[in-house]
Amino acid sequence: MSKASVPVRIDRVTKVFKDVRGKADVIAVNDASFEISPGELVTLLGPSGCGKTTTLRMIGGFELPTRGRIFVANEDITNLPANKRDTATVFQSYGLFPHMNVFDNVAYGLKLRKLPGKQIKEKVMNTLGLVGLRDLAERSPGKLSGGQQQRVALARSLIVEPSVLLLDEPLSNLDALLREQMRVEIKRIQKSLGITTIYVTHDRVEAMSLSDRIIVMKDGLIRQIGSPDNIYEDPNSKFVAGFVGKVAFFPVEVLNIDSTCTVEFNGTKHELSKFSEDLQVGDKAVIMARPESLKLLEPTKGIIEGQVNTNIYLGGSLESFVTTEQGEILVQIDNPAEKKIFAEGEKVSIGIIPNLVKVLPDKDE
Amino acid sequence: MIELFTSRKLITFFLISAVVLVALFWLFDTIKDSFDRIVRDNHRQLVNVVVEAAPREEEDIENWVRMVNREFTEADIIYVRGVPGWDELEIYTHNDRLKAFFEQHRDTPDFKSGFDSVYYLENYYSRLDYSFDGKRVSVVLSPLITEMRDDLTGFLVFLMSAEAGKNFSRLLDIFMIGSFAAFVTIYFISKFFRDPVMGFIILGLFVMVGVFVAYPLFEAVRLTFISEGQFSMATWKTILSSRHYLEALWGSIRLGIMTASFATVIGFIFAFLITRTSVKGKKFLSTMGILPVISPPFSLSLSLILLFGSNGLITKQLLGWQDFTIYGLGGLTAVQTIGMFPIAFMTLSGVLQAIDSTLEEASLDLNGSRWKTFSRVTFPLAVPGVLSSWLLVFTNSLADFANPLLLGGSYRVLSVEAYIEVTGRNRLGHGAALSLLLLLPTLTAFLVQRFWVSRKSYVTVTGKPSTRLSDLVSRPVKYVMLSFVVLLTVFILGLYGTIVAGCFVENWGIDYSFSLRNISEALQRGRAAIVDTFTLSAIATPIAGLIAMMAALVLVRKKFVGKRLLEGLILAPFAIPGTLIGIAFILAFNKPPLILVGTGAIIVINYIIRELPVGVEGGVATLRQIDPAIEEAANDLGADTPTVFRTIVLPLIRPAFISGMSYTFVRSMTAVSAVIFLISARWYHMTVLIYNFSENIRFGLASVLSTTLIIIVFATFGIMRLLVRKSEHLEKSVSF
Ligand SMILES: Nc1ncnc2c1ncn2[C@@H]1O[C@H](COP(=O)(O)OP(=O)(O)OP(=O)(O)O)[C@@H](O)[C@H]1O
Ligand SMILES: [Mg+2]
Repeated sequence: MSKASVPVRIDRVTKVFKDVRGKADVIAVNDASFEISPGELVTLLGPSGCGKTTTLRMIGGFELPTRGRIFVANEDITNLPANKRDTATVFQSYGLFPHMNVFDNVAYGLKLRKLPGKQIKEKVMNTLGLVGLRDLAERSPGKLSGGQQQRVALARSLIVEPSVLLLDEPLSNLDALLREQMRVEIKRIQKSLGITTIYVTHDRVEAMSLSDRIIVMKDGLIRQIGSPDNIYEDPNSKFVAGFVGKVAFFPVEVLNIDSTCTVEFNGTKHELSKFSEDLQVGDKAVIMARPESLKLLEPTKGIIEGQVNTNIYLGGSLESFVTTEQGEILVQIDNPAEKKIFAEGEKVSIGIIPNLVKVLPDKDE
Repeated sequence: MIELFTSRKLITFFLISAVVLVALFWLFDTIKDSFDRIVRDNHRQLVNVVVEAAPREEEDIENWVRMVNREFTEADIIYVRGVPGWDELEIYTHNDRLKAFFEQHRDTPDFKSGFDSVYYLENYYSRLDYSFDGKRVSVVLSPLITEMRDDLTGFLVFLMSAEAGKNFSRLLDIFMIGSFAAFVTIYFISKFFRDPVMGFIILGLFVMVGVFVAYPLFEAVRLTFISEGQFSMATWKTILSSRHYLEALWGSIRLGIMTASFATVIGFIFAFLITRTSVKGKKFLSTMGILPVISPPFSLSLSLILLFGSNGLITKQLLGWQDFTIYGLGGLTAVQTIGMFPIAFMTLSGVLQAIDSTLEEASLDLNGSRWKTFSRVTFPLAVPGVLSSWLLVFTNSLADFANPLLLGGSYRVLSVEAYIEVTGRNRLGHGAALSLLLLLPTLTAFLVQRFWVSRKSYVTVTGKPSTRLSDLVSRPVKYVMLSFVVLLTVFILGLYGTIVAGCFVENWGIDYSFSLRNISEALQRGRAAIVDTFTLSAIATPIAGLIAMMAALVLVRKKFVGKRLLEGLILAPFAIPGTLIGIAFILAFNKPPLILVGTGAIIVINYIIRELPVGVEGGVATLRQIDPAIEEAANDLGADTPTVFRTIVLPLIRPAFISGMSYTFVRSMTAVSAVIFLISARWYHMTVLIYNFSENIRFGLASVLSTTLIIIVFATFGIMRLLVRKSEHLEKSVSF
């Protein structure tokens, strides 16, 4: 199973679902463009109904774009039906064939390709070995656990050696532990085969831990594309910042912009090096701060006053929930052993670590 | 499913279509031309033959013309004496209308140039079309020379029928437009559809329902507005003003009301007993409650005649009654009630099961009496169900044809009246109108059901029926109901027993000694019909099954323009009385471009069209439970539409497929209301033969055939059960 990895590109793709009665149309995907390098694993991340599945289904050939083109291996495949595309989809509900056993499920694609029986058997057993299901070949899919079904679906897709693997929330039906195992498994298989993969999820932890890059979507629009750390540390909007991790926003006004951005919060000026390019002087903005870009100081030493509500020790770090006039703010203290700890109920002041926070436009959530 | 249009593709499409259009036009024009030439040659020959045979003596000509007019049906001839332009023209003809025709046209330029040709002793073939006696004719003028003058004495005017030519060229036009349309659609689908196979299936379904549902119905409606070739309301006026027909309409409705009411009450008792009380033998009772619905047509009526007819076992032999008659409203109500209460039973037991019995228990706990609980809780909740079952039986009763035909006596109903109009009086228009009239109450019932009853159905399906099923009625009431149901069951079994007994009796009503004579005679005389019926049904069954499953797939999984229309046309035959379909079929398919009357094909098509709705409904219900991702996964792995259908869809909806097919087979074998119009000397039908035997008081023979049908029906359902059970494990795992 070695095949040259291929790139995927979608170019200004829009999908409009006509309502049955022709009244309200749904714009499921709105003018989306992105490019995926050969062998890359990219996740589509976003809240429910944002158009992730629709995007994936257009790449898989199950929906036609209303506008725009789709390229796989630099070839325009927009009008190619699913059965002629070199993509393989693992469906959220798996879509296993209930009238066939595991072996026949996995062998289905090969039988269509009219391979000799011996070769089919060999390949199926190999692929089942890859996903650790060699012993269950004779079972009917109705008698498998969720995780096993998921692996059958994966094996069934992998065996036809697709150039592009499309996974639609493949782990959403599994319990937390199994989900973690399978995540590692999928990543391992994907890397070992070097197969270009698009992975749909609404679980940010899953997206962060799996992806080479993340595409964040909302209401059919692509909001940001970037590596997990880039998206986490350098989000371009309040929405993205909030969607990919815990965050606190401090409302500010932009006073000056040159190589740094000067903002005013609670009457104090802050000069910050990370800021959104959309900002202009005089704009309302927010300082976006992750729990780890905040610190706890003696009262009046920081930018906002508060009172420690709860402390949670997590071994390597400590999470302090602080009640302030901006609501409850989470502060994460790494290596708590070396730092001063404020007990629950104590008055504190929250300070920012200037090079870790970012100024974002005060638009949408 | 249509892919994006690119301008290059569109241009090629239009160019090629245009080229094909021109080519087709040229082709058909050539055909038309050569046909025209053949016709003209024929005319020329005819003219020559006639003119050559003309007598040389002038005084003989008049007689001769009369003779020719009698002999030749192809042409009418007018003899005109005198040289045009020189003499006063004298017209000789036996026919005043011919004379009037000549007078009317003699001053037209066309005739004037004809006269010129005649003057120069040449034949004149007019290029114009004239109409004479409501028919298209071509006109030829031919000079006559007689011995006396040895010169032009006059000329003959030939009026030759151009009807055939006109018809032929109209047919050619239809074919040309048809083949162009076919080409364009097929070309369009294969060029612009991402999934051409699916496109063709949808197109095929549209063509099928268009040709075999919409077109016949349209023809039937059209015919009722036509009399003597013209638009007219005459048919409807006659029908709506004649006591005779209105009586039949009222007869149908009255019978419907009676049957629906009795059947609903009985169905309710059955359903109540089974879902709301704790009697023993529920399984047996519910089998008995369903049994009569699969009895072949005529069988229950036949049995009733055997028992209660003028020579009936009970009425005559046992009771010795003289002036009792089973024929008429009473007998019909009885036989329809027995045949149709299963419909009410099945509907109502579904409804009663869906009513959460915890509601009743709550009422009982609140010290409501049983009667109060029933009348204030259970019954009000079941009312919409009761109404829809009433309407369902009502429409079934109206559409029933077999029972009134055999048992109606002088009681008239629409379906039978329509049949008599068509086959007895050869008035197809009246027949069509009457059967359309039959559709009216059916449609009303359907609309009431759709927009009123279904909106009122506040049956709350709140989960499983409670396991703690307390009796909702007191013991005495329960036992009264139970004895009624048991009596009815015994009676039904008795009816079946009578038919079977009828096979082994020498001569029912006269000589009850044991005999096998009837069996051998019936099988011998009915062999052709049995073989025909079986063959045609066996042909229709797999076709209808496959089409039904494909249609279900298309309706559930695909989005396309006109889906609602397609669905409506596919399902329509379910609600349309068979009589109307039968009449519509003979109207539509006894003329070009599709002449099917008299063939086995028309019967097969009729089976398919009529039984499709049930198969489709079954397929749709099953498919809705199957995760579409299963089919998409197969498609994704490289299977094209036919392969997905064959390897995934069909195995998964196997239960629906099998039961749809068995249903089609049984219903085809036992069809009568539409088929009776479509049978021919070559293709006969068992049910019609049963009717013929009964009409000729050969009840023994009728019993044998009925029993045969009953055996076939039971065998089919038995086989179906076996096959479906084998695939039951599938159903459970279909949706995860
Ligand atoms: N076949 C369809 N017909 C009409 N509307 C649709 C169809 N499929 C999706 N939509 C609509 O398009 C939008 C995007 O749907 P999509 O399934 O892509 O969302 P999603 O991001 O995958 O959400 P989820 O996380 O819930 O799966 C939704 O508003 C949905 O209602
Ligand atoms: Mg989704």
